[in-house]
Amino acid sequence: MDNGATMHLAVSPLPGIAEPSPAAEPDFSLLARFVQRAEAAGVDLVIFADSAPASGSDVATMPFEATTLVAALATVTSRIGLVAAASTVAHQPYNLARRFASLDIISHGRAGWNATMAQAPREAANFSRPEGFSGDDFRRRSEEYVGIVQGLWQGWDKDALKFDKIGGRFHDPEKMHLLDHKGEFFSVRGPLNVARSPQDRPVLVLSGLSASDMDIAARTADVVLLDDEPIESAKTRHDDLKLRVAACGRDPDAVKVLMNVSPVIDDRPAVTADRLEDLFRSKSCDGFNMQMPTKLSALDSFVDLVLPALRRRGLFRESYRGTNLRSHLGLAGGGDL
Amino acid sequence: MTAASRQMKLGAFLWATGHHIAAWRHPKAHVTAGIDIDHYIQLARTAEAAKFDMVFCEDAAGLREANVAISSQTSRSIGFEPISLLSALAVQTSRIGLVSTASTSYNEPYGLARTFLSLDHLSGGRGGWNLVTSASPIEAANFGSTGLRPHADRYQRAREFAEVVTGLWRGKPGGASGSGHDSQSFSVRDPLDLPRSPQGAPVLVQAGASDVGRDLAARTADVVFTAAQTFEEAKAFYDDLKGRLAAYGREPDDIKIMPGVAPVVAETTTQAQEKYEELQELIPDDVGVALLSSYLSIADLWRYPIDGPLPELPPSEGMQSRQALVIEQSRRDNLSIRQLARHFAGARGHWRIVGTAAQVADELQARFEGGAADGFNVMPSYFPGELDAFATLVVPELQRRGLFRKDYEGRTLRDHLGLKRPM
Ligand SMILES: Cc1cc2nc3c(=O)[nH]c(=O)nc-3n(C[C@H](O)[C@H](O)[C@H](O)COP(=O)(O)O)c2cc1C
Repeated sequence: MDNGATMHLAVSPLPGIAEPSPAAEPDFSLLARFVQRAEAAGVDLVIFADSAPASGSDVATMPFEATTLVAALATVTSRIGLVAAASTVAHQPYNLARRFASLDIISHGRAGWNATMAQAPREAANFSRPEGFSGDDFRRRSEEYVGIVQGLWQGWDKDALKFDKIGGRFHDPEKMHLLDHKGEFFSVRGPLNVARSPQDRPVLVLSGLSASDMDIAARTADVVLLDDEPIESAKTRHDDLKLRVAACGRDPDAVKVLMNVSPVIDDRPAVTADRLEDLFRSKSCDGFNMQMPTKLSALDSFVDLVLPALRRRGLFRESYRGTNLRSHLGLAGGGDL
Repeated sequence: MTAASRQMKLGAFLWATGHHIAAWRHPKAHVTAGIDIDHYIQLARTAEAAKFDMVFCEDAAGLREANVAISSQTSRSIGFEPISLLSALAVQTSRIGLVSTASTSYNEPYGLARTFLSLDHLSGGRGGWNLVTSASPIEAANFGSTGLRPHADRYQRAREFAEVVTGLWRGKPGGASGSGHDSQSFSVRDPLDLPRSPQGAPVLVQAGASDVGRDLAARTADVVFTAAQTFEEAKAFYDDLKGRLAAYGREPDDIKIMPGVAPVVAETTTQAQEKYEELQELIPDDVGVALLSSYLSIADLWRYPIDGPLPELPPSEGMQSRQALVIEQSRRDNLSIRQLARHFAGARGHWRIVGTAAQVADELQARFEGGAADGFNVMPSYFPGELDAFATLVVPELQRRGLFRKDYEGRTLRDHLGLKRPM
């Protein structure tokens, strides 16, 4: 069943335990049920924040580190995309590229990395950089970092692995490539010691973008998350970004713009659906990132009340078309699109 | 615990297609292991059904072999990143411990402590960290342009790193409570933002065998892995390490010493010997020599006559203890480079036993009861067959002898290992 619709939908469980109780152990099964419910509803992807302590708070915001959580969730789901935030301050690029390449294989091509271009105020102080980075340095460093990660994800050609027991060739030596990156902040030889992604490479989701980060997004991102805005300014912003994407020689459709929305659905599902429809039909975005508490009840109201309205209006597809995240998002490289 | 009821600890050391360098070429080896998560789920369940204490994953942040002509003839250039792998296994198993390797040279303590604590929560208290300082220049080239740092510097950093991590796991910001941690290598301001571990703190494993490596283990480790060929070597290591504990206010039983063992087991001695020969036949000479030279930290071993003796070697900045072990064996058994390489390719200097279940059990029992081991890290030659063979042939034999548990008694990895819960 396919109604031809192209709106993309992500769900972001908001950091913060739904009903915090000091005695409760972190509960994986609640998160698993949450994601399985989103998968049953056909949502494209779930995006997990990864919290360093927010200033003035020392409570657990999400009880698990996001990449480990996604690895576990990958084994209890089969279609939905799984995106984890991971900080460029907390990880070395080689390690981060490996972690996500591995997640992508564990999930059979459903993984993505959410990189934020905004510096988390307290984070650097826990990573032996009490002075942090200047805004400009952080931007240049982030761009270099993203380039390394994407480069490492391409170190092995699609047909590099031969598995030829008799001939004694495990892989084709010609089809493995060093990165040999030497830059302002990093020096990384490569290649990754993880095989190529089943969806060509993991999906890159950029968030926390300021106006001066838009060219980086245009060059590198598969998905950008932008904050909620009124239609006119959202449309201007969207069109501007797509022009920049084209200026980089990429297909404007190669970057999907998802708008962050945190709807209060319970009493007015039709109003929420109207607003999403208006934003989408005016081409202010390619879809939405629904931010909600990590509660089944919050997800249920979206899935049971808003999604059917979107489907009736021909805005959201009836079911998954492919098996990997790129194919859900209509991105090239998805293989089985 | 009385001597009679003292139980052996067992780890299932999972690595690529198997520990034998040519394992992947064996007809029964699962050649796509490095891209098949279901294969690993199956291995973890096999080990859990056999009541192993833990599965253990090695790690290197880079290729194992720089020469692609060599590495393309092995299965070790690609595989899962172990923390993501074990996080996936955490929710597909329920009792077995999950220990991953991670480097103190290419991580920061806050992030590493947080990631392992998350693994520990996902598994309900079954997580562990094998601390390594990463001895390979190939890894170093993925993290800057300055090359491999000297052995002593790596261990200095590792010592501070371990202190920060164990402090964070105990709820402190780095070292001293309240004020954050500042040392030569690290500064950490906050405590972790995750709840305390279900087992008090993840288990800390260490495999350093040099003098500084042993000291670090004595100071911080709960479990120690080691490579030892003979009973005497194993015993000397065991006594030395246990002897270092008092200096740190610890008791001998606070550390479990688990040497690696690479068994080749079959119904009869002849079958086991044939199985071993079959694997040895699959080793290309250039691959064997390259593997040997990487552990000896000598780049040009291939220049020397392959049927001649090992040349004199300069002291290693890599794995000092393993270099010493190989040199010792080459002199003791008067082996040529080719013979040494073939021997080494099977288990990288670890202890190999070829025989029936009863013979393997005899040997393990002798080292266990002789005070040379608290248990063993089992290194199957190829997967899944040789893990299955150990689980179905050797484990029941050990259980019959009262040397190994018939069922798990506790829930956490600390419970299985009989380790104290940290304050
Ligand atoms: C069973 C076992 C497993 C090991 N696994 C790793 C590993 O995964 N990664 C690594 O870099 N080193 C690994 N090592 C090497 C040790 O961390 C250590 O470097 C080596 O034993 C030499 O000791 P030294 O560092 O004190 O010289 C392992 C050693 C043993 C005995």
